[in-house]
Amino acid sequence: MLELRNLSSGYGDALVLRDFSCRFENGRVTALMGRNGMGKTTLLKTIMGLIKAKSGSVRFDGQALETWPTHLIARAGIGYVPQGREIFEDFSVTENLQLGLLGQDPVGALPFSQIYDWFPLLKERADQRAGTFSGGQQQILAIARALVGGPKMLLLDEPTEGIQPSIVHDIGLQLAKIAKETGLGILIVEQNVEMVRTLADQVLFMENGEIRESCDIEAVKQDDTLLHRYLSV
Amino acid sequence: MRNSLIGLLVFIALAVTPLFVGQYWTGQLTTYLVYGLLAISLSLVWGYGGILCFGQAMFFGIGGYIMAVFTKGMIYPDLTSSYLGLLAAMAGAAMFALALGYFLFAGRGISGAYLAIITLAIALVLERLMNNWYALGGYNGLLNVPPLKLIAFGYSYELWDRLPTFYIILGIVAVVYFGVSFLVKTPYGLLLTAIRTHPDRLSSLGYSVLNLRLSVFSLSAAIAGLAGALFATLDGFVSPTLIGFTLSTEALIWVAIGGKEMLLAAFLGAIFTRTAESWLSEIFGDYWILILGVVFMISVVLLPRGLLATPIEMLTGKRKRK
Repeated sequence: MLELRNLSSGYGDALVLRDFSCRFENGRVTALMGRNGMGKTTLLKTIMGLIKAKSGSVRFDGQALETWPTHLIARAGIGYVPQGREIFEDFSVTENLQLGLLGQDPVGALPFSQIYDWFPLLKERADQRAGTFSGGQQQILAIARALVGGPKMLLLDEPTEGIQPSIVHDIGLQLAKIAKETGLGILIVEQNVEMVRTLADQVLFMENGEIRESCDIEAVKQDDTLLHRYLSV
Repeated sequence: MRNSLIGLLVFIALAVTPLFVGQYWTGQLTTYLVYGLLAISLSLVWGYGGILCFGQAMFFGIGGYIMAVFTKGMIYPDLTSSYLGLLAAMAGAAMFALALGYFLFAGRGISGAYLAIITLAIALVLERLMNNWYALGGYNGLLNVPPLKLIAFGYSYELWDRLPTFYIILGIVAVVYFGVSFLVKTPYGLLLTAIRTHPDRLSSLGYSVLNLRLSVFSLSAAIAGLAGALFATLDGFVSPTLIGFTLSTEALIWVAIGGKEMLLAAFLGAIFTRTAESWLSEIFGDYWILILGVVFMISVVLLPRGLLATPIEMLTGKRKRK
């Protein structure tokens, strides 16, 4: 379980996140929605230690992570798929997966066969250079690279950005299945309503660095006033 | 695979060279092999690790001084083993690199031109320090460093003669070359490529970028230290020039001309450049430096991957990814 308490963070003197408190359970998929510039990416980066928290705490399975360096946070079991995917374009699929594996504690790591079961595309193209992949395929690889280390919590930053809708749907279904099967907790920052509907159990709406509304996915499916209010779609 | 085949051919060619050249050139070539070792260390840290170290000679010099101090019995009169000296030289250079690297890479870290300037400055400072460290010979350096003394199975043998010295040094260089070639093909090499191209992407995958950089920096320093230690036994002499500006930039030129992203090219770059220097400086005198400068510029502009790396890549038909 990932628990944030009174977390404040930002860039220089500008605070983007203000007294942010929230809990993310294992096995549940939480979608974080909001317009651009509301602090969603900042939140993920703060959890990962890529931006240092100004105050507040990040607790994960009982450990206080807020002062830890990024690589130890990753090893503690938090996988991160950054915005823009950030795969290694010059490396093959297998090499990208290897990089996801080698930095992690081998005890919890998943065998490649498990990853290939979930994403057969990666098995077919194991030796292909990742830079030649389409955006959607690169996204699948980025997710697989984060999963192969066997995280307990996965943070996804706008995985559907610039990806064709059919792949978005596939990724959503597959992630939902993985979360259910393995007890993986997922925190996904997303603007794509379709993705959130496919995947999430719970939706948080964020505005100006704070959570304004929190509700069950069913509530969002039945009534989209919240979506209109916080995303203006 | 074909790459290591070419490496093997090169070392076989080197091994038979003394059959065709005289004592003098065998001796020269032995020294060039040691420079080649320095070039390998720089290729590892620069071409593979992405750390442009402008002061690689400081590790060479540290290794040389440690070897001299040890084998001359200046630390302890009975402790003059060559083996211990070599180990201490490598460990000393690596430890210095570890300490220096921590200041260079911790936190945000320094990179690119700033790193080059700072490493160059540190090499200059060390050179100045050795110039004034009178216990270690100061400006004159330390004389009468004994040659390598091999002890095995109760036999003891001092390497005074040129031919056995050549083969022992060639053996050491070959072991290091093939060892490093193997290392960069393991997942560690993959990590080095990743850290060179996208260091920012590694930490969230569970890697400490600092530790990775420190590991390659000190490994490279240990190899440079070994080269310096061997050099001291060949020359019988260490001086502040081993540690400073001139050798550092020379090494950089060898590696850039040969090809920094290919160990073999960097290694041959050192040997060819030094050989060419011996020949051409006899013919052209100091104008040789101009020729070297022109070749360097041609290499940087037309063949940025290296004058030697480009043809070797054509032979092996494989480009190393950037």
